[in-house]
Amino acid sequence: MALSPFRAGPERRTVVVLLIAGVFALSSAFAYAEDGNTPSPVEQFSKQLEDFQKSVPDLNKSIQESAGAIDAVTDIDKARADIDRLREQVSTLLGAVSDNGPVSQLGIKALDHIRAKLKTLAQEQRFRPEERQFLIDQWQRLQRQTEDATKELDDARAQFASLLQTLQSNEDFIDELIEVRQAEKALDVIRRLTQNIRDASNQLNKLIGSIKPPGA
Amino acid sequence: MRRAAGLLASAAIVGAVTVACRPSGDVGYVEIKTVPAAPVTQAALYLDSTRLAPIRQGNALLRQRVGTLKLQAEAFGGAKAPLCEIEVKKDRITSVTISVLERPPRCVCRFTGNGGTADRTCVS
Repeated sequence: MALSPFRAGPERRTVVVLLIAGVFALSSAFAYAEDGNTPSPVEQFSKQLEDFQKSVPDLNKSIQESAGAIDAVTDIDKARADIDRLREQVSTLLGAVSDNGPVSQLGIKALDHIRAKLKTLAQEQRFRPEERQFLIDQWQRLQRQTEDATKELDDARAQFASLLQTLQSNEDFIDELIEVRQAEKALDVIRRLTQNIRDASNQLNKLIGSIKPPGA
Repeated sequence: MRRAAGLLASAAIVGAVTVACRPSGDVGYVEIKTVPAAPVTQAALYLDSTRLAPIRQGNALLRQRVGTLKLQAEAFGGAKAPLCEIEVKKDRITSVTISVLERPPRCVCRFTGNGGTADRTCVS
């Protein structure tokens, strides 16, 4: 037998038995352990691959969401629209309490009416002196209260005007502040994304590690 | 109880008046300060053709339609002397100070149109 280095007989049977034993030994290393406690490298690899495959869609989703979030927080036009909306709201309030606004005009009319009433009462002859004095006291009390309310209106007007002026005079500065705030938000998003990618990378490393053949 | 009802009624009236009187077009504001400040400013001032109510405590804040207005003061014989022009922008305040001791009163803009003092247009 030119192909066989062994002679037929007991030696050849011994080699065949040893080869079969070797195959069994290798397959037992890759197959699931018979004791059921320790997963085999094949099992470990399958599990790592499964975990990684599960994490890939999450990572993709996370990347897409982060990109969207960064787009949203760096949208300066939207931020400016927010300021414009705030300015409009303050302006509407200011309009009500401005000197020629409806609320101020109501106060002025109310005070004019009270003053006219007091003037009339001072010349009124229909009532006894104590009755007239009582009515005058009542109108004077109303006058004080209305003047106080008008004063509060003045304060509100000054506050709204000051706020509106702050908004317009510091417009450029506010724009910059908003951009800083947005950049901080974008940084948070990037940090979260980085962490997600690092987690995925760790999983990938584990997967790669599990591919190495035993003993390598 | 009656006080709360009164407050609610007042709030409703103010809200209704505010909504009812809301101008349909874009509006801005003109802030007029007079120096020296007096309880009531005697000088008669006009924004375009509208005569302004006397200014109390040297300060008035007026709601105006967006556009350019002409600020004038009443001079001798009822004639109107132009002081300056005021540009009103939407939801913004244009401030102007009027020195009422001078004849005719002098207008000082907080911000002028092209940044120069010679410009007689006040902007926001």
